[in-house]
This record gives sequence, C-alpha cells and structure tokens, in this order.
Amino acid sequence: MDLSFGPEYEKFRAQVREFLAARKGQAPSSSMSATGSGDDMRRILDWQKTLVEGGYVGRTIPREYGGAGAKPDLLESIIIDEEFHAARVHRGLANQGISMFVPTLLQYGSEQQKQAYVRPTILGEMVWCQGYSEPEAGSDLASLKTTARLDGDDYVINGQKIWTSTAAEADMMFALVRTDPDAAKHQGISYITLSMDTPGLEVRPLKTMIGSSSFNEVFFDDVRVPRNNLIGEPGQGWEVGRATLMHERNMLGNTTQTETMLQNCTDVLAEAGVLGDPTYRDRLMKLDARVKAMKYHSLRLLTDTLKGRHPGAAVMITKLNGCQLNHDISALAIDAMGERGLLTRGSELVRDQGAWQAQYMFTLGLIIGGGTAQIQKNIISERGLGMPREPKPAA
Amino acid sequence: MDFGLSEEQDLLQQSLRGYLGERVGLAAVRAVVEGESGHSRELIAGLAEQGVTGVMVAPEYGGSGLGLLDAAVVAEELGRAAAPISFHSGAVMAPLAIAALGGDAQKSRWLAAVAAGSSVVSVAFAPGFSAGGVWDDSVAYVPDATSADAFVLFVGTGAGAAAYLIPADEPGVSAAQLQAVDLTRRLGVLRFSSFEAEAAMRLAGGDAAQTASRVLQAGRVALAADALGAAERGLEAAVEYAKTRKQFGRVIASFQAVKHMCAETFAEVEPLRALLWYAAFAWDERYEDAHATAMLLKAYAGEAATQATTTCTQVFGGMGFTWECDMHLWFKRAGYDRQVLGGPTALRAEAAAIRLVAAPHATQRR
Ligand SMILES: Cc1cc2nc3c(=O)[nH]c(=O)nc-3n(C[C@H](O)[C@H](O)[C@H](O)COP(=O)(O)OP(=O)(O)OC[C@H]3O[C@@H](n4cnc5c(N)ncnc54)[C@H](O)[C@@H]3O)c2cc1C
Repeated sequence: MDLSFGPEYEKFRAQVREFLAARKGQAPSSSMSATGSGDDMRRILDWQKTLVEGGYVGRTIPREYGGAGAKPDLLESIIIDEEFHAARVHRGLANQGISMFVPTLLQYGSEQQKQAYVRPTILGEMVWCQGYSEPEAGSDLASLKTTARLDGDDYVINGQKIWTSTAAEADMMFALVRTDPDAAKHQGISYITLSMDTPGLEVRPLKTMIGSSSFNEVFFDDVRVPRNNLIGEPGQGWEVGRATLMHERNMLGNTTQTETMLQNCTDVLAEAGVLGDPTYRDRLMKLDARVKAMKYHSLRLLTDTLKGRHPGAAVMITKLNGCQLNHDISALAIDAMGERGLLTRGSELVRDQGAWQAQYMFTLGLIIGGGTAQIQKNIISERGLGMPREPKPAA
Repeated sequence: MDFGLSEEQDLLQQSLRGYLGERVGLAAVRAVVEGESGHSRELIAGLAEQGVTGVMVAPEYGGSGLGLLDAAVVAEELGRAAAPISFHSGAVMAPLAIAALGGDAQKSRWLAAVAAGSSVVSVAFAPGFSAGGVWDDSVAYVPDATSADAFVLFVGTGAGAAAYLIPADEPGVSAAQLQAVDLTRRLGVLRFSSFEAEAAMRLAGGDAAQTASRVLQAGRVALAADALGAAERGLEAAVEYAKTRKQFGRVIASFQAVKHMCAETFAEVEPLRALLWYAAFAWDERYEDAHATAMLLKAYAGEAATQATTTCTQVFGGMGFTWECDMHLWFKRAGYDRQVLGGPTALRAEAAAIRLVAAPHATQRR
C-alpha cells in the first residue's frame, strides 16, 4: 500500500486545479444527467469537448484516434477524480458510445473503424445507441431474433430492438444481430454498426416512468448495411457484445460521481434541518461507509488491472453495488425533503428542478438495465463462486 | 501509488493461512474453546513463533515492528480460523499502549514477553475510575480477564486521563469470567478491592487520553478485520456445502434462492476488504480521517459479518443450527466483533460527530 503522491504529481494536481478554476463556469451541474432536456444535453456536449481537449476524457486512448495517448496511471486518474469531486464539477459523459463502444472497438475493431469512430465519439459529436434488447430477448439476450442476411456486399437487417436508450438522438447504433439462423444460439450472432439515417429504420420513442422519452423501440425493415460494418468476425458477436456489456457494467457501477452525490445529499439534509437527527445521521453514515468502501474497492480493482492481476469475483459486484448505492442516496435525500421531495421540474417550491426524484427513478432503471440485479447475482454466484447453473427445463 | 497489499503482506497472509490450516484447524480450536479457560498458552506460543503476537512490537523487543495494515492481514486470518486468541487487545492495543506510554523497564519486561508469547496482556477502558487514589471498583467485558498476566488500564477522561500497567497477580486484583457466546475469545470482569496503583505501574510517558483514543481505533480496525475473515470463511464453507448437499435430485447450489443468498453475501462483504486496507493504512499514516474511517469500517464490518454468517447458517439448513456444524464459530466470532469496542449504531453516531463538524468536504488525506 502506498498512497503517496510524488512532487511530479503535485505539479499535475496544480495543472488540474488551474484547468478547473479557468473552465469550471462552463461545466454543467453535476446533477444534470444526459436524460435531461435538450439544453442540458447541449451544455454537456460542449463541456465534453473541453474535457477531451484538456486530456480529461479519453486520456489513455492513442493520439491517432483522438485521445491524449497517456499511459494508464492510477495516480493521475485519482488526482483528476479528486479534484473534480472537490470542485464539484461534472466529470464528462459516461454514455454508451464513450464508455462502452469505444473500449470494445479498441479491442476488436479494424484500423479503419477505429479511425472513423473513436475521435467523434469521445468528443460527443457522434452519439451511439446500443441495439441489444428485443421484446423477446432481455435477460436471455442470446435468444435475440433480429436477422441480418448477407446480400452482395450488404447485410439486410429485419426485426426489432427495444429499450434502446437515446436512439432518437443517436447518430449511430452498435447492434447484435443474427447472421446465421442455423448456428447454435450463441454462435449465430454478429456485432454490427449502422447509421441511424439508414432507410428502413424507424425509431419510436417510449415514455419512461420519469415522463421523458429516454428509450425507444427501433424497427428494421430491410435495412441495408455494408458488410464491413461488422466489428469482429461473423459469428463473433456474442464475444464482442459481452466485452461491451462488461464495460457497461463498469460504467453503471462507477462510483466516481457518487461521492459528489453524497455530498449534495448531505447539503439537502442540512437544509431540511435534519442533519442533527440521529436517525438521518445513521443513514447518512451508513451510506458514507459504503461510498468509501466502493471507492477503495475500485482503486483496488484498478491496481489489479494495472498490475495485470485478475481480480476475480471482486469485479462482478461493481454494477450491483454501485447502482443500488446511487439509488439509496437519492432515497435519503427525498426522505429528508418530505413532501417537497415529490416535486418535479417546473413546480413551485421545487428544489434542484426535481433532480432527486428524477435520479431516484433513473437509478432504479439502471438497476434493471445493463443486466438486472438478479442477473448480476447469477453471475456472481455462477462465475464468481463457482455454483452450478440452473438446469435447463425439459423441452 | 499502489492500492493493495505488498508482496510481503501477501506472503504473511499465505504463510499464516498455511500454518493455521495445518496446526490450528477447527478441531484444535474446538478442543481449546470447549475447555474451561478457553485459552491455550501452547497455541499462543505457536502463534507467537509465526510472528502473530509481535506483529506490532518493535524489533528491539523481538517483534516485527510492522503497522496496523499488517496486523489487519493477521487479524483477518485469525478470524477465518476462529483462532482462540484476543488478538485485537493482546497484540494490537496492549503493545501499542505500552510502546506509546511505557517506561524502559515496562517496555522491556512486557513487550518482549508479548512478542515471545510468554505473557498475555489485556486492555481495559475504565473512564469512571480516577487517576490515583484507592480503587474499590470493577470493569467489565475485559478480554482474557482470567488468563492475562497483566492489564493496561485506561482510566479517567480528558485532562484527568491516565494509564496503568497492572500485573494480574497484584494483591487486590481479581478476575472472573463472563459467560459470553464467543468461546474463542473470553470476556471477564476485572475487580479491584482497596487497590492503590503504585507509581511504578503508571504508564506515564505521554498523553494518556490521546493514546487511549488512538489505541481504541486500532483495536476497532483489528476487530473489523477479524469480522471480514469470519464472514468470508463462513461464506466459503456455505458455498462448499451447497455444492455437495442434494435435495429434489440436484445440488442445492443450483437453486437460485441459494445462489442469490451467497451472491448477496459476497457483494456485501467484499467491499470491506478495500475499506479495511484504507482504514488501517490511514491509521498508520495518521491521516486526518483515520478515526472516523475506523468507526465507519467497524460499524459496516460488524453488520455485514453478522448478516453474512446469519445467511450462511441458513444455507446449511438444520445442520447449520447444530453445535457440530462449524458455522456457529464464525457466527459468534462476528457477533463478538460487532458488539465489542462499540456497536454499529453507536460508532456511526460517533463518526457523524466528527465528520459532520469537520468541513464535510475535507480531503481524505493530510
Ligand atoms: C433505463 C434502461 C435503459 C436501457 N437501455 C438499453 C439500451 O440502450 N439498449 C438495450 O439493448 N437495452 C437497454 N435496456 C434493456 C435492458 O438491458 C433490459 O431491460 C434488461 O436486460 C432486462 O430484460 P427485460 O426487460 O426483457 O426483462 P426480463 O428479462 O423479462 O426480466 C424480468 C424480471 O425477471 C428476472 N429474470 C429474468 N431472467 C432471470 C434469471 N435467469 N434469473 C433470475 N431472474 C431473472 C429479471 O431480473 C427481472 O426482474 C435498458 C433498460 C432500462 C431499464
């Protein structure tokens, strides 16, 4: 264990502080989420550009693809997180393109694909959506039915995706499609990218419980996509798709913003006059311990990764715990506000434009999305603890 | 920067796990704890040879001179093994207190004996006692009360605080065992009748109040480590059992309800490891948030470990409720770790008093 920062890192910290002091004013508020209004979205995208240029996003992505080309460095990333947290500044977008597709692409994509997609994606100029789930294929994703039939140099896609987040705003989609209907369930799937402008593709927004339309249905009617849009080989889709899912779970369980959220929650308790109340204090301290534990847990995992050690089952709890923790913090803030905690954007008397309620519901969605809590527990017990799978029902 | 155990600490863990597995198996543990005293000098001497009792004792007194993080590694292993030793008091709090406050004679007499495993020293907090004067009073819940050779006694509070190192065989000192659930670490009552501590028994070499607080936090971290060990070993035992026990024609580990009990337990317990490492390291480095972190850690560990061992007991079904099944060793171990030196709710209240008064934004490090 060594948590010291050498002098060269203190210089780095000074640089980060300088950046934040100069640019902080342009940052979106940390409670704004990419599920908010169009104005929120635009402000977040502008900020993203600033962060990429500063080397705070895409830090370790090679320069030729638009990143900062920095060596992975635990200390630098901790300093960045600490300083952003202390300044309570938005840490940049964590969306499906940046946090899930780009790392997958860097692993499986062709040179040409990396050249085409990485730079605009991390800048937030090219927005991606994830076409995985279908009406009949959710937790049992590998049973997906959307087909892609090879016709000359194109794949022709037919079928339907559902719960597709940001499909209405997205420029591009990465999708799992069945390219070989005769192959076994997991073997006939391929991973493909396509433009959301492609003829034959239709997006129908779905209204979420929050009242906005952050996810959609997407219909494919003879949608033609060049065959070299496949990421990886035909039939390799399940493997590539799983890599994306792993990045998704790390993103959803990421607790770097959670400390800020707990800080904001503490402010809510103070303002509501309950910070002296033993019951609220107890709940707050319980969460405080958990936030700290997950923060150090992620440092532990990061150290393992940098040293090339496999952390085993420890990595599988990130999504389950992180999403639940974010949800629990929102719940505490809402409780402290009493009736006021029910108010939503635009209402008289509302606090933070109803961000806590929105967050409370949004984080519930994240407990479900990206593999439900129950599926995470299956993964922990089966792959982590080596307990046997459920036997298949007799046909 | 490196967030994790060092190679030496990994080695310490492995070698101790190996030793405990071979020499202090659960049958050996039961043989000791089912006896009247619950205590075996032979076992302690064996652990001392492995460096357990001297982990925090300075090399000049025959110890390894390591920090609380190393002690936490040891405590986790002792919790896993349900080893009959009050490590948090005898090997963490006592030597820390003596090293911080003791005179040369006290240090060479007791620290060397602790490291060698030839003496057991316990620690008690008696804020109601006054420094000096004649004591006709008692202090309860003292680890190893009937087996220790000496006691570090912290008395008084604030400016009136003082510390003593009192040999158990002094006239006017007596002890009785309390009957508590965890048989692996006995608690007792320490009684003083017309007892006047001599000047030579005073631990006078520093600020007793400050030392008491720092020693107490170290003890809490060690108990949290023990709880982590008990919880993780209990879970391993439950998973192992579930993979062999069959009902309805299949192993119960293939039932999702059972899998989810185990997965939830793992997800609850595993983050403690990193929090433990940080808390111990923060204590070693005297970070500003060390005390609050120790309290939050112990509160979390106490609750997570009791929850874990409760759930894991259920995985064993009726077998889990038997004396024969080893689960109750870890269940009681977790119960002790939770109640002793401050329960979860009290500790969170104490932590809140620190964290919510200090600028809530104070950075984690100095
Ligand atoms: C906010 C949000 C955003 C999303 N965004 C996207 C997106 O951008 N792209 C995309 O492709 N998908 C997206 N999804 C879909 C998401 O991945 C699925 O909803 C999720 O995987 C669950 O599938 P399902 O809805 O079909 O539920 P089901 O699979 O029908 O599950 C219903 C219930 O049954 C339980 N269950 C199912 N199977 C098991 C099992 N084997 N063991 C135990 N319990 C089980 C589940 O845990 C759940 O409680 C999003 C979902 C949400 C909520």
